[in-house]
Amino acid sequence: MAKVVVLGAGIAGHTASALLKKKLGGKHEVVVVAPNAYYHWIPSNIWIGVGRMTIDQVRFRLDKRYQKAGIIFKQAKAVSFHPEGDSEINKGFVTIEYTGQDKAGTTEKVDYDFLINATGPKLKFEATEGLGPGKNTVSVCSYDHAHEAWEKLQLAFKKMENGEHQKFLIGTGHPGATCQGAAFEYIMNVAYEIKKRKLSHLADIKWITNEYEVGDFGMGGAYIKRGGYITSTKIFAESFLKESGITWLKRAGVTKVEPGKVHYELLDGTIGEEGFDFSMLIPAFSGHGFTAFNKQGEDITASIFAPNGFMKVDADYTSKPFDEWKAADWPQTYQNPLYHNMFAAGIAFAPPHSISKPMKSPNGTAIFPAPPRTGMPSGVTGKVVAQNIIDWIKTGKPTLKHKASMARMGAACIISAGYGMIGGAAATMTVSPIVQDWDKFPEYGRDINYTMGEAGLAGHWLKWFMHYMFLHKAKGYPFWWLLPE
Amino acid sequence: MKEEVKRTIAYSQESYPPMPTKSTLFWRRNIIWQAWRWVVLNIKIMKIVVGGHS
Repeated sequence: MAKVVVLGAGIAGHTASALLKKKLGGKHEVVVVAPNAYYHWIPSNIWIGVGRMTIDQVRFRLDKRYQKAGIIFKQAKAVSFHPEGDSEINKGFVTIEYTGQDKAGTTEKVDYDFLINATGPKLKFEATEGLGPGKNTVSVCSYDHAHEAWEKLQLAFKKMENGEHQKFLIGTGHPGATCQGAAFEYIMNVAYEIKKRKLSHLADIKWITNEYEVGDFGMGGAYIKRGGYITSTKIFAESFLKESGITWLKRAGVTKVEPGKVHYELLDGTIGEEGFDFSMLIPAFSGHGFTAFNKQGEDITASIFAPNGFMKVDADYTSKPFDEWKAADWPQTYQNPLYHNMFAAGIAFAPPHSISKPMKSPNGTAIFPAPPRTGMPSGVTGKVVAQNIIDWIKTGKPTLKHKASMARMGAACIISAGYGMIGGAAATMTVSPIVQDWDKFPEYGRDINYTMGEAGLAGHWLKWFMHYMFLHKAKGYPFWWLLPE
Repeated sequence: MKEEVKRTIAYSQESYPPMPTKSTLFWRRNIIWQAWRWVVLNIKIMKIVVGGHS
């Protein structure tokens, strides 16, 4: 009997554990370790943040789902990795600390034959002084943060209804932040809600971003066919902002936040400040600060994890200039190179480098987006890792025939611009591949026939449909396995 | 209250990006056309998802 341990129950981890159990059945053990009692459909946090959905509409309890599937669930957080075991345990294990199930604070060693690290990012608010919930800005990165954002947004609306002018500042809250797409969705939805309430004349809405150009989205932008032209997403995104009456400040690295004021540095070295009444800024992401030890108890953290805390996999981590980056730098199987029964999927794997070009100010501040890992690639990498482990268990051989490089797979991003089955809108974007392959596609970096952008009501229906479809899949409802990642 | 038309500030960064025409806005909100686009977008996305990994 094989034992597969999955750390994390987000899109990648949950996809992996569900597939593992379905294919391996009762003969083998699947264990999920996750600190939250709930599964959470993160893309719909935007709608919680503008009061269009409630927390309970984006989450469900994991314990019942896993009990029904025969998956062992431990509500705990991973603390340290021991891929060689120790003096007492002769196989790899992780130490965990319970966060629930009436065992909060209790630690345990969980051994495994295969390990999938799908722990996602740490929201590193502390990397920017004064940033985050409980301090000076709101967030939409988790459902409780998004709910707080909605409560604060309502206060701003109330002030405008009383005739008071309000300044909204939304974007990235660290020079190296990612998830520009989520922040862009939020600013579009805030503008939509303000317009719906006929309060636009009292609102000053500004997009602040570390992107070199608006529309970069952490993937170096893209070229799309639009209106008889092949256009950069810079034009597409700026057009959306302009249409919604939003101004923008680009190439800006937020360095500090005080009550009602953001400090930033621009790529040209200029230091500036921007005032606000309401601000939602995305924090930097990092790994969770796990440690790793060999059998003798020696610290091997640096050999397993990159300096940013994400787990090393089958990527090319050789330091090289932007002009020498290749599609082949990106991992395909997400297998750890040192411990082959260990994998990292979703946001937990260490990318070889960013997708956007690294940029530094004259003061030495790196101001450019980290690479985004959105829902679709997270689900696909979770699936592929699970498939390879399933094959390995069933055949006894690590064929690793299932591959999913971000330089080969495409992704769809739906950027909501307002909620409403008749009056809503969204920009639907597809990019293929996610990471440019300039050798294969020398003119545009991507396949222009599968890289597109389109705005309209259909996009809103798509995002709404995907909300319910992916929750149906995640809950294990009938025919869930037929639905794609 | 009627929305005030904002004056374009010449040479500002906001003055350059394109704005949708009335026709573009019409087609973005036309339910029949958008229903067709929903089908087309679903097919495109499915092709991308299925073709992107082995």
